[in-house]
Amino acid sequence: MKKDTILTVENLEISVKKNKIIKNISLSFYKNNVTAIMGPSGCGKTTLIRALNRMHDLDKSFKVKGSITFDTQNLLKSDPILVRQQIGMVFQRPNPFPNMSIYENVLAGYILNGIKLSKDEKDSIVDINLKKVGLYDEVSDNIHRKGSHLSGGQQQRLCIARTLAMKPKVLLLDEPTSALDPKATTRIENLINELKKEVSIIMVTHNIEQASRVSDYTAFLYLGDLIEYNTTETIFTVPKDKRTEEYLSRKYG
Amino acid sequence: MIKIPIAKKNKLFINILKLTGYVAIAILVLFLITLIFNSFLSIKTLSLQFLFNTNWQPNTKNFGAAPFIIGTLLTSVLALMISIPFSLSISIYIGYFLKNKKRKNTLETLMDLLAGIPSVIYGFWGLMVLVPVIIKIQAWLGIIPYGVGILAASLILALMIIPYSVTLGKDIINLVPNDLVEAAIGLGATPYEVIKHIAIPYSLSGLFAGHLMAFGRAISETMAVTMVIGNRNFIPTSIMDPANTLASVIANEFGEASDPLYVSSLIELGLILLVITTIINIIGKLIVKAYTIEPR
Amino acid sequence: MNPDKSNLKKRLLKNNVFYQSIKLFSYALLIPLAFILFYIIKNGISYLNLDFLIKMPAPVGETGGGALNAIIGSFLIVGLSGLIAVPLGILIGIFLAEFKEHKINDLTRLSIETLQGIPSIIYGIVAYVWFVMPFGKFSGISASIALALMMLPMVAKATEESMKMIPYTLKEASYALGANYYSTIKKVILPSCRKGIISGILIGISRILGETAPLLFTAFGNAFLNFNMAKPINALPLLIYNYASSPYQEWHQIAWSSSLFLIIIVLGLSIIAKNVIK
Repeated sequence: MKKDTILTVENLEISVKKNKIIKNISLSFYKNNVTAIMGPSGCGKTTLIRALNRMHDLDKSFKVKGSITFDTQNLLKSDPILVRQQIGMVFQRPNPFPNMSIYENVLAGYILNGIKLSKDEKDSIVDINLKKVGLYDEVSDNIHRKGSHLSGGQQQRLCIARTLAMKPKVLLLDEPTSALDPKATTRIENLINELKKEVSIIMVTHNIEQASRVSDYTAFLYLGDLIEYNTTETIFTVPKDKRTEEYLSRKYG
Repeated sequence: MIKIPIAKKNKLFINILKLTGYVAIAILVLFLITLIFNSFLSIKTLSLQFLFNTNWQPNTKNFGAAPFIIGTLLTSVLALMISIPFSLSISIYIGYFLKNKKRKNTLETLMDLLAGIPSVIYGFWGLMVLVPVIIKIQAWLGIIPYGVGILAASLILALMIIPYSVTLGKDIINLVPNDLVEAAIGLGATPYEVIKHIAIPYSLSGLFAGHLMAFGRAISETMAVTMVIGNRNFIPTSIMDPANTLASVIANEFGEASDPLYVSSLIELGLILLVITTIINIIGKLIVKAYTIEPR
Repeated sequence: MNPDKSNLKKRLLKNNVFYQSIKLFSYALLIPLAFILFYIIKNGISYLNLDFLIKMPAPVGETGGGALNAIIGSFLIVGLSGLIAVPLGILIGIFLAEFKEHKINDLTRLSIETLQGIPSIIYGIVAYVWFVMPFGKFSGISASIALALMMLPMVAKATEESMKMIPYTLKEASYALGANYYSTIKKVILPSCRKGIISGILIGISRILGETAPLLFTAFGNAFLNFNMAKPINALPLLIYNYASSPYQEWHQIAWSSSLFLIIIVLGLSIIAKNVIK
C-alpha cells in the first residue's frame, strides 16, 4: 500500500556532549497512520520523538544534525513555536495545568499564545475537543473546576484534548499510558484508533502489546540505531533482524 | 493552521529578567559603596585608632568605637547564653520527642509569636514592665538602680533570638537518620542517651550554625536594645551598667549628628556592624550548606 | 547476663530528669510571651476603639485621641514599599530560579542573601544618604525605599522557592503547545506558584510593618496628619518609639494601644500567610 508521508527524517543524529543518543537515523512517517517507536530503555526513542517537535531545544546540551522535513520545510530550521503548534505532544505523565479549569485547559494553547477568541468560539472548541476524547459527558457538570480532581486517565485525555484543540497535523505521544491503569489504557488506545482519521500519530511505547494493538507501523530502535522499520504486521510476524526478534520474544516470553 | 500573534514581549521579558539579576547585585554594591564612601572621612581622620579608642565624646570630636563594640559583644553573648538552654530544649523537644505529634504545633506557634512581635514593642514592654522590676531587684541588692542596661537588653534579646536558633535547630535534629536512632534504642539506650550520644553529636555543627546566626541577629538588633540599654557611651564594667551597642548608638545619635566627622564615624560604626553580621551569616550558611550536602 | 538493676534505675532517672527539664524549658517561654501579650492587651484595649483609628493623638494633658496620622503614614509607607519590592522581587526570584546557567546567577543569589542579613538600622543609614541628604529633608519616600529594600529579598526568595516546587512537566506541556517563554511563565508557572508568592509577600509586609530602625532617619515622624510622601511622615512603630520615651502618661497610653493594634495586624498577616500555603 502506498501512503503519503507526513514527516521525513534524514540522517538524524542527536548527541549530548560526546554521547550519541540517536545515530544517523532516516525514516518516513505516514499520514493518518499510527506509528509506534519501541525499544528497550536507553534506545533513544524518547529523544527521537522529542526532536520531532523541537522539545530538545529546552535542553541546550542536545546537539542535533540532519534534517526532519515537514510540509516541505526542515523543521529543525523553522521557528520552534510554529513547529510545536502543528506537531502536538502528549507526555508520559498527565500534566494538566493546575492553575486552569478543565475548560481553560482545553483552551490552554490559545490562552498561552495570546490568541483572542469569542465566547462562542471558545465554547465550541472546548465542546468539540472534549467530545473527541470522550470526556464531554464525564466532566460537563464541572467544566469550570480545576482539572486536578480528575482521575489519571481523564487527565491524560484532557491533555490530548488540549493538544488536539490546536488542530495539529501530527500528534506525538510519549508513552501516554505508562502512568495509567489497564482500563484507562484501553480507553486511550481506542481513542488513538479514532483519532488517526484526522491526525497522524507517532507514539513511543515500551509496551510491545500496545504497539501491536494500536499501530500500523512500528520502528524498533536499539542503542540509538534504527534496527527495523516496517508495517506492524511484518515486524511482529516476520522480523528481519535478530535483535528485533529477541526483543519481541523476550518480552512475550 | 492557527495564526499566532508574534510575541515581541518574549525577548523583552527575558532581557528584563537578566537585568533584574544585575539590579540585585547593584543594590548590594551601592549599599557597600555608600557606607564605605561615607565612612571615609572617619576612616581617614581616626584611622585604626577608632576601633580601640575608648572615648566617645562628640563635643570634643573624640570618637572611639570601643565602648560600643564591647557593649555589643557583652549584650549579645549574654543574650545568647541566656537563650541557649531554652533554644536547645525546644529544638530537641520538637525535633526529637514531638517529631510527628500534633502538640508540636503549640510550641511552633509560640515560636512564631515570639518571632512576630515587632522589635519596638519588645522595647516598649521592656521599658515599661521589665525595667521597673530590674530597678527593684537592683535596689534590693544595694546597687545603683538604673534598671536600664546590659542585663535588661540581654533578657529581651534572648527572648527575641530564641525562635531564630530553634528554626534551624529543630530541623537539624529532625534530620538525624532514624536508623541510627533505632539502632541505639535497639541496643537499650534511653532517649537521653540517644540524644546525648547520637543526636547531639550528629547535629552539632548545625546547632552551632543556628545559634551563630541567632547571635548575629542579636548583634544587629536595634530598637529593643536602644530602648532598654540606657544609652551610655562608656565601657560597661558590669552587666548592670547602662551602655550602648553599635546599633543603638546609631539609632540614638544619627538623627542629631550634624558635624561631618560625627556623621561619618557613626556610619563607620554601621559599616563595622555590617561586616561583623555578614561574616557571621556567611559562616553560618556555609556550615548549614556543608551539613545538608554531607552524606549521612 | 546479669543486668545491673541499680545502674538501670539511675539511667532511667537521668532520662526522666532530662525529659522533664526539656519540657519545662520549652513551655517556660509561654510565661514571658503571656506577660508581654497580657500587658499589651490590658493597657492597650481601653483606647483601641473607633477614636483610635479616626482621631489624631490628643495634646499633652488631654486624654483620649487616636493614632490616625501614624496609621495613615504606615499604610502609605508600606504600600509604596510593596509597590517597589513586589514586582522587582518576583522578577529577581524568577531570574534566580530560571537562569541557573547564567554567569551572574550565583552572585545575584549571594547579593540577595547578604541583603537579607543586613541589620535594619543600616537600611536607614543608606536610605538617609541616598534620599534625605540630597533633598535636605526627611520623607516618606526615603522610608519606603529603605523598607522596600528590606522586603525585596523576602519576595525574591519566596518566588524562587515556590518556582522550584513546580514540576518541569508543566513547562514542557506549555512549550509543546507552542507557547513562548513569556507566556509560559506568566500564564502557567506564576499562577501555579501564586500561593507561595502571596504568602511570601504577606510575611514581608508583616515584617516591614513593624520595622522602626529604618524609619528613624527617613520618615522621621510627624505630629500632624500628612499624606505627602515627600515630607516627614509618622508611622505606628515610630509613634510607639517616640511616645514610649516620652514622660507623659497619655502618650504611653496611645503607645500601648498602637502596640496592640500593630501586633494584631502583624500577627494576623502572618497567620493569614501561613494559611494561604495550606
